[in-house]
Amino acid sequence: MGFFVVCGVTDLKKTILAGSLFAFAHAASAQEPFKPEQIRSGSETYARHCAACHGPRMANPEGASDLRKFPRDQRERFLASVSKGKNAMPPWGDLLKPDEIDALWAYVATGGKN
Amino acid sequence: MRKLLGTILLAAFGALAHAQTQQELLRDGNGGSTDNVLTYGMGYHQQRYSPLRQISKSTVKRLVPVWSASLANEFGEQGQPLVYNGVLYTANVKRVVAIDVATGRQLWTTALEWEPAVARVVCCGLSNRGVALYNGKVFVGSVDAHLRALDANTGKEVWKVKIAEWKEGYSITSAPTVANGVLMTGMTGGEYGVRGFVDGYDPDTGKHLWRRHTTAGPGEKGNETWPAGDAYLRGGGSTWITGSYDPELDLVYWGTSNGGPWTATARPGDNLWISSVIAFRPKTGEMVWHYQWTPAETYDFDGNNENVLADIMVGGVKRKVLMHADRNGFLYTLDRTNGKLIAANPYVNVNWAERIDLATARPVETEVAKRLRAGEKVEVRPRWTGGKNWMPMAFNPDTGRLYFAMLEETSVYQLNKELPVYKAGERYMGVENTTAPRKPGEPWGYFGALDPLTAKPKWKLPLTDLPSWSGMLATAGGLVFSGRPTGEFVAIDEDTGNIVWQFKTGSGINAQPITYTHKGRQYVTVLSGLGGGTSAKRETEGKVLPGGSVWTFALMPE
Repeated sequence: MGFFVVCGVTDLKKTILAGSLFAFAHAASAQEPFKPEQIRSGSETYARHCAACHGPRMANPEGASDLRKFPRDQRERFLASVSKGKNAMPPWGDLLKPDEIDALWAYVATGGKN
Repeated sequence: MRKLLGTILLAAFGALAHAQTQQELLRDGNGGSTDNVLTYGMGYHQQRYSPLRQISKSTVKRLVPVWSASLANEFGEQGQPLVYNGVLYTANVKRVVAIDVATGRQLWTTALEWEPAVARVVCCGLSNRGVALYNGKVFVGSVDAHLRALDANTGKEVWKVKIAEWKEGYSITSAPTVANGVLMTGMTGGEYGVRGFVDGYDPDTGKHLWRRHTTAGPGEKGNETWPAGDAYLRGGGSTWITGSYDPELDLVYWGTSNGGPWTATARPGDNLWISSVIAFRPKTGEMVWHYQWTPAETYDFDGNNENVLADIMVGGVKRKVLMHADRNGFLYTLDRTNGKLIAANPYVNVNWAERIDLATARPVETEVAKRLRAGEKVEVRPRWTGGKNWMPMAFNPDTGRLYFAMLEETSVYQLNKELPVYKAGERYMGVENTTAPRKPGEPWGYFGALDPLTAKPKWKLPLTDLPSWSGMLATAGGLVFSGRPTGEFVAIDEDTGNIVWQFKTGSGINAQPITYTHKGRQYVTVLSGLGGGTSAKRETEGKVLPGGSVWTFALMPE
């Protein structure tokens, strides 16, 4: 904290920017590359349970959030929302297995592209 | 002794004053006291018309909010409140609330608790469209497929029954109704392979009396319209909008939803009685007649929209009719004594059927429909959400016109090659459906005043910014009340279609306004709270925030 106190405003901005870039790079590097079969499996689960509200292949959502805009660095939030539910989103944790939810994340995070 | 008798009589009278009766139900919206609103639709006929004229075209400029009360609900408000003896009863998916009409203060609230996973089987939005009142009790359904009776004075639960298993896709979003002493509820779940029904209960005890299934089973006439096997058990035909009732004919009229699965290729045949109106006896559930709006339904054209009853002139003769604006884009008038078709005309752009043939009473499907059924991807009008959805219309018996909100959208629709596999409580569709891009400048829909026999508009008000998902209320004051998803509660001149008054409420309006009197003053009440259906959220794109509240209006003194 003392560092910020002695810095000017410009330096502070730079520090925050550098920090965010670092966080982003860290999240990206920590992410496993998704396997094509995982993405395919995720797309099947998506079509069965998610497409009705979030739109076929994530396009034209019916009132639910646009998953094409879901931040790619918020995997944990995605997993929590799917398994425990959030607002009008019901919980799926008792219906979908953890590897199925992981596969959904693979599908959403890659935009369905292998 | 005389004093004691007097006390007993007073107590009995007191109890009577709080125990609304069958006689009052029969007269609601039908010459009864305008202090009360006792039925879904403001009368068993569901005309949503009031003879009140205190608030009129000339006085509406003095219409102001007199109170508002939060409903602490972010899921949306679609309900129609009821009013009895100065108490307003209203419900949403989370609770029932009783409010003092004079002050807007809460008298009691009772929570409707349900497991969050229930939301998986409520296809199109967590909602509750209202309560029923009878003999000192408030009746309410909940999305986990339970029906409750609450004490009207305290909100305390008197009884509760499970009507079906939500884990198998069954839920309740509609208001119950009491007719001929029987409490009835519909259900929803047409996207989950349910078998639709209306249930009858003893309002005093909650004892189950009968079940009127809406897909014809073995041994029933109509079963021949289903393929051999058990497709009828997953055939849909849910009953998610409250039926209307003709006490003289002793017939209840209830609409039924799309088929299950959505793709009709899984269930060759007309599939009675999906996408239909069924007329049955409230005492027994015995079917008397049916009319199918969309045979072999495969478009998600639910036939649930309200059935409005009136006696109107047809070719110089007064007829007992039933009027219905279907999701499929046609406005129907039937003879409600026997279900015979009198008229059917398109009220929005329709491309799946050329017309409804009056001789056969069936739609004549177009090439678009044939290509769709053959597996091609096609553009369908109206979109699956319909030319009109659940938001109810009003009928003014003086003008003879119907007032409602129309939707103009196009879907891109294809039946999947592979038939869907049924799993209890999971989507059972077999269709891929998206929305076609809008043409620049094309209205989302209209408010309109239509002739029931021709569907010709007296006026149409284009809705260019957003469509409307709000019900209508017509009054003898020459006004029609409705709402906008952006929150404006509006009064429309019934002659011209001009909006003559509006007030911006806290959230979007997709509910059902009512009007009534209290101590000689006319009130108008509407719920505000975007949601309850998915479309309003899609269309408003985050520009309107949810949050439920009740708004009550009256004239400011001169």
